Amino acid sequence: MADLGDSQLLVRFVTKQEQYAVPDSPIAIQSNVLSSDLNTLLKALLKETNPSLEKVPDFDYLICGELLCTSIAEHIQEKGISTEDTLEVEYLERFPAPRPQDCLMHDDWVSAVHTQGNWILSGCYDNSIHIWSTKGQHKLSIPGHTSPVKAVSWVSVTNDQAIFVSGSHDQSAMLWVWNSSNNSVDCVVTCRSHEKGVECLSVSADKQRFATGSWDNNICLWSTSLSDEHNAPAKKKSRPEQGKIREPLSTLKGHREAVSGIKWMDFNTVVSSGWDHLIKIWDCELGGLKQEIAGNKAFFDLDWSPLNNNIITASADRHIRLYDPRSTDSIVRTTYTSHNGWVQSVRWSTTKDTLFLSAGYDGQVKLWETRSPKTPLYDLSGHEDKVLCCDWSNPALLISGSCDNTLRIFKSKHALQ
Amino acid sequence: MPPFKAGLLKRKNVSQESKNSDAEDKNTTSGDEDEELVKGFLDEGDDAADSEHEEDGHSDGERDASHCCLLALEVLFEEHDSTLGDDEHENETSEPESSDLTDSEEGEETDEDEGDSSQDEEHVSSDSGAETGLRPTTSSGEETAGEKDDKKQNKQVTKKKNKQVIKKKNKQVTKMKQEKKRNNKTNSIEVMSATIQEDRLTAPVQQKDEYESGDTSDEEDRTNTVGDIPMWWYNEYPHIGYTLDGQRIIKPPQRDQIDEFLKKCSDPEFWRTVKDPQTGQDVVLAPSDLRLLERLRASRLPSDTHDEYEPWVEWFSREVLATPLRAFPDHKRSFLPSRSEQLAVSKLVHALKMGWTKTRKEMAAEKRKKKERAFYDLWSSSATPATGGARVLPAPKRALPGHAESYNPPAEYLLDDKEMKEWDALAETPWKRKYTFLPQKHSCLRDVEAFPRFVRERFLRCLDLYLAPRALKMRLTINAEDLVPKLPSPRDLQPFPTAEVLQFRGHTDVVRSCDFDPSGQYVVSGSEDGTLRVWESSTGRCVRTVSLGAPVTRVSWSPSSSLCLVSAAAGPRALLLNVQAGAGAHRAARATDRLLAEAPPQHDTRSESPASIHASPPSRVSHPPRSLPPVDERTSSCVEWEEVDATQWALGVRISIKHFKPLTHLSWHARGDYLAATLSEGASRSVVVHQLSRRRSQLPFRRACGLVQAAVFHPRRPLLLVATQRAVRIYDLVKQELSRKLRPGAQWLSSLAVHPGGDHLLLGSYDRKLVWFDLELSARPYRTLRVHGGAVRAVAFHPRYPLFASGGDDPYLVVCHGTVYNDLLTNPLLVPLKQLPAGEAAGALRVLDLRWHPHQPWLLAAGADSTLRLYS
Repeated sequence: MADLGDSQLLVRFVTKQEQYAVPDSPIAIQSNVLSSDLNTLLKALLKETNPSLEKVPDFDYLICGELLCTSIAEHIQEKGISTEDTLEVEYLERFPAPRPQDCLMHDDWVSAVHTQGNWILSGCYDNSIHIWSTKGQHKLSIPGHTSPVKAVSWVSVTNDQAIFVSGSHDQSAMLWVWNSSNNSVDCVVTCRSHEKGVECLSVSADKQRFATGSWDNNICLWSTSLSDEHNAPAKKKSRPEQGKIREPLSTLKGHREAVSGIKWMDFNTVVSSGWDHLIKIWDCELGGLKQEIAGNKAFFDLDWSPLNNNIITASADRHIRLYDPRSTDSIVRTTYTSHNGWVQSVRWSTTKDTLFLSAGYDGQVKLWETRSPKTPLYDLSGHEDKVLCCDWSNPALLISGSCDNTLRIFKSKHALQ
Repeated sequence: MPPFKAGLLKRKNVSQESKNSDAEDKNTTSGDEDEELVKGFLDEGDDAADSEHEEDGHSDGERDASHCCLLALEVLFEEHDSTLGDDEHENETSEPESSDLTDSEEGEETDEDEGDSSQDEEHVSSDSGAETGLRPTTSSGEETAGEKDDKKQNKQVTKKKNKQVIKKKNKQVTKMKQEKKRNNKTNSIEVMSATIQEDRLTAPVQQKDEYESGDTSDEEDRTNTVGDIPMWWYNEYPHIGYTLDGQRIIKPPQRDQIDEFLKKCSDPEFWRTVKDPQTGQDVVLAPSDLRLLERLRASRLPSDTHDEYEPWVEWFSREVLATPLRAFPDHKRSFLPSRSEQLAVSKLVHALKMGWTKTRKEMAAEKRKKKERAFYDLWSSSATPATGGARVLPAPKRALPGHAESYNPPAEYLLDDKEMKEWDALAETPWKRKYTFLPQKHSCLRDVEAFPRFVRERFLRCLDLYLAPRALKMRLTINAEDLVPKLPSPRDLQPFPTAEVLQFRGHTDVVRSCDFDPSGQYVVSGSEDGTLRVWESSTGRCVRTVSLGAPVTRVSWSPSSSLCLVSAAAGPRALLLNVQAGAGAHRAARATDRLLAEAPPQHDTRSESPASIHASPPSRVSHPPRSLPPVDERTSSCVEWEEVDATQWALGVRISIKHFKPLTHLSWHARGDYLAATLSEGASRSVVVHQLSRRRSQLPFRRACGLVQAAVFHPRRPLLLVATQRAVRIYDLVKQELSRKLRPGAQWLSSLAVHPGGDHLLLGSYDRKLVWFDLELSARPYRTLRVHGGAVRAVAFHPRYPLFASGGDDPYLVVCHGTVYNDLLTNPLLVPLKQLPAGEAAGALRVLDLRWHPHQPWLLAAGADSTLRLYS
C-alpha cells in the first residue's frame, strides 16, 4: 500500500526504562519513518523533557511486541494493525553493537568453546584442548584425546585451580584439573561408558554433575568430584596419563539417534535434543522422561535459558526455533530465519532474557532479539568458513569457533555495566 | 351354581320350548297347506283375505281367540325373545364354528323378530284393508257410504277392542324390538297360532330345521306369482295375476272418478291410502309407515329409535387393556406397505417421468401455450437449433435490406454520374458492382415496377446454397492442464532435500563412490586419486584418508552396525578396511579387528554346503553342491584371498581379495557376511560372491549372460539381482534358479537400486531413462521416468522416507517421491519433487554416485568435480 507511506500516524512513546521516559502524549508522525528517524525524534523529546541527561543512547522500538526493522508503515501493515488508532510504541535502549576484539588462531577446526571468568576453553579437531585468557593469551594446549574434541565445559574456576571437562569422538569424556598458577594440567578422571563419540556435554548449575550426550543415542550423567568416592574401583587398569576411569551415575536411554545437544535445566532436570527430531526433558532422579517435544528436522543444538525458561534449537535447516517447555504441545513459538545454511549452535545470553547468539554454516554469527524473528540485531561476521560453535557464557564476550581454525571474540560493551 | 349359569340353563329350557313350538308350527304349516296358503294369501293381499276370513265365518271371537293365542305366543316370545337368539347361537355354534355363519343366523333371527314385531302393523293394515275389501263382496259397489260407514263402525268397535288389546301387547313387543321390515310373518304366525291351538295337546312334534320356517314363509309370501313385471300388462285382463295354484287373482273393482272423490270426502283415511300395484288393493299406511316416510322425506335416518349421537365408547384406543378386545395380533399387511399399491404408484411415477402422462398443471400449461400465438422472428440472428436426427444446417441469413433497397432512397444512395459510369463499366462483370441492383427513386410505392429478375435471383441464391455445402466443424477443446496427471503438491510431500548444505572437499580427482555408515555419522568416499576418505557427515570434516594405491571405483559400508568395515574396490582388489581405527567407534573397530585378525580354520572353509546357507550359489552352478570341493579350479583361478601385510594393516586394510579383472561394483548382503563383486569383462566369471566369515568365494554363474553392470543382493529375500546391459535377472538363491527376467526397454543399464521394501526396483540407464519396476506387477516397467537430460549413472532409494534420487551427466540431480503401498491394488505414487544442482562437470561426467542418509532426508552425491555434496 503505497498510500500508507504518506499518511499520518498517531504514536505514543512508552518505555520501561524510567530514566528515558518521555511524556506519553500522542504525537503525529509520517508513517513511512524508519527507526533512525524515530531515534532523532525521541532524542529531541528527551532533550526537552530531561535536559540533565547528558548522553542519550540509541533506542529500539517495539510495535506490537515485535522489533521495528522496516518503516512503521510496512511493519503495521504486516501486523495488520489499524492506522486509525493511536499506536503505542515501546522503546528500549538499543543493545550496543559488539565490537570484534580478538581472533585466536588454532591449528585445526575449532569445535567447542566455553568461557568462565577470564578463561576461555576451546576444543579442537586436532584432538587438543586449549586454554586462553580473555585477553587472547594462549595459556595451554592440552593433548589427551585421541579423536576430535567435540565438547568442552568449565566446571569451576577458582583462583589457582580450575576444573573442566571435555568430550571427544574417542568415546570418552575427561575431567581435568588445571592449576593456573604453575600452568599445569592433569587429567583426573576419564569417563568411559559411551559406545560412540561424545557429541555434547553440560555441567549442572551446582557443579556436582555433568551430562554427556553421545552418538550411541544415550545420555550419561557423571559426577564431577575429583576423588573416587562414588565409584568402586571396578576397573583398575587405569593408564597413568588418563587418570582414573569412572562409570556413569546413570544412563538415560530414549533417543533413537544421536544426542546432539544437552543442557541442565535445574539440579534434577536435563533437556536434550537429538537427530531423531526430538527434544526430551529428563528427570535425572528417576531416570525417566518428563516431557517430549517433537520437531520436524534433526536438531543440532539447543540451549535453555533460566531467565525466560524457553528453549531455542538449531536444526538441520536455516531456522532457529523457540520452544516453550511449559506448553504441552510441540508448537514452535517463534521461528528465526536469517541464516543461509544449517545453524550449528545457539546460545542464550546469560544476562538478558531476550537475546541469544547463533552460529551457522554460512560463516555468520548472529545476535538475535527474541522479538524480531525476521532480522537479527547484529551479524557478527568475520569467519571465512562454517562456524561450528559459539559461546556467550561471559556476558561481555561473544565467542565463536569455526572451520577456518579461528576463535573470534566480540566484545559487548553494554553487558559490562 | 353361579347365578348367570342358572339363568342360562333356564333360558335354554325356555328356548327349547319355544323351539318346539316353532317346530310344531312348521310342521303344521307344512301339514295343512291349504289353509296356510290361503292365510298367506290373505296375509299378503290383506283386505281380500281378511274379508274372506270374515266371510268364511270366522267369528271375531274366534279371531280373538287366535289373537289371544298369538298374544300368548307373543308373550312367550316376549319372555324369552332376547334369549332366543342366544339359544340358537348355542345350538348352532356347536356345529359350525365360523363367525359368518352365526352372523347370518343372527340376521335371520332379527328377521324373525322383525316379523314378529311387524305383526301389529300388519293387523292394523289388515284391519283397514278388511274394511275396504269388505265392500265389494258384501255390497257389490252399490252400497251407500253411510251403510258402509255403519258397518265399518260396527266392525271398528270390535276391531278396536282387539286393537287395543293387541296394541297394548304390541307396544310391549315393539318396545323391545327393533326397526321392522315389512314382511308377511304375521301370516305365518297366525297360522302358527292356530296350529298351536290345535296341536298343543296333540302329539309331540319332531325336531325340524329352523331354516325351513323361513323358507316356507318366504314361499307363502309370494301370492301373486307374476313376478316383477310392469303391471299394466294386465290392464286388459280382469285378473291381475295368479296364485300359486294357478288360479287367477281377480282385480278388485275399479273405482271411477266419482267414487274416488266420494271416498276422498268420506274416508278419513283416504290421505294415507295407497294402491298396491301388485294386487290393485288399497293399502292404508300405518302411522309407523307415515313416520318412516316423514323421516325419509326429511332425509333423516329411517329409524327413530336409532340414536345417531349415542355416547362414543372408545373401544380401540391407545390404552393397553388388561384384557384386550381383540387378542389376535395385527395382520402383517396392516403394517407392510402394499406391494400392489406401490407398483401402481411407481407405474404412475414412471409414466410422469417419461412424459407419457401429464399432471393437470402441465396439461393446463400446454393448453395455455397452445392458445398463445407463436410468432416467427424473421430477423433473429440465432438460427433455430436443429432438433433430433440429422443435423440441419440453416442457410446463412441474407443481409438486411439497406437504405439503397428502399423504393425512395435518400439521395446519397442514388448513383451519381460518376458512379453510374462505374456501374456501366462493370457491365461485363456484374458481381464486382457495388450493388446487385440499381437504386432508384420512386415517388411512391405504387410506381415501383415488378422486379424483373426475381426468379433468376432466387435461382442463383438456391444454387449458391446448393453448391456451397456447409458442414459442422467438430472441434474438441482440451486444456493442456487436463492432460497433466493429478499429482500431489511437492509441498505436501516434505521432507525432502531442497538445497545443498555442505561440500566435502579433499579429493583431488573424480569421486567415484560414496556411502554412509549405518548410523549416519560418517561418510566414506572413494576416488580416482587412489584414496579413500572418511568424513564426518554433519560437518564435512575429513576424519581419515587412506591411500590405496589404485583408483577406488566402489566403496560401501558394511550394513552390520556392530562391525566397522568398509569394502572398497581398488583396481582388481576388493579391500575390506577398518577405517575407524583412528576415529569414531573404537570398540566396534576393535571387535572388527579381532574378528578379522585371523582366517578361519581350513576345515570350516571346506565343510561348507552351499545349499544350506542363504546366499549359496544360484543357478547355473557348475557343480552339484556337495559332491565337489567348494573351491574349485575355476574359482581359484579368478579369485585369490591375499595375505595382508603390516603396512596395509596399518592403513586399515583387514582383508584383501584379488580378482583376475578390475572390479566395477561391490555390494553387501543385508546381513553383512556376503559380498557380491562385479568384474568388468569377466564374461562368465564376472559375478563373484565372497563370504567373509569363511574366507571363500563362489562363482555363481557358469555361462556369461551379458555385460554385467551390477550384482545386488535383495534386501529381504534370498535373491540376487544381476543387471546386465539390457536386462535384469533375478536369481533365487535357495532354489538356485533364474526366477525372473525383467526387460526395462533401455539400451544400456547403468545402475540398479532395490526398494527397501523389496518389491520395487529402480534402474538407471545411459539413455537417460529412469525405470521403475513393480516386481509384484509384471516384468514390464511400471513407469519410465524421463527426468534427466543426460545419462543416468546413479539411483538410490531412501531406506526410511519414500524418496528416491537419480543423478548422472545431467547438471541436476532429481529427487522424486515414491510411495509404495502395502495393498497390491494401489500402484506406487511417483512424483518428481526437486531438481538439485549438481557440481561442475569433469569431461562428460558429473554425478557418479548417490547415497541417502540412513535416517535423515539428506542426499549425498559423489561428484566428478572431486567433491561430495550433501543436500538437505
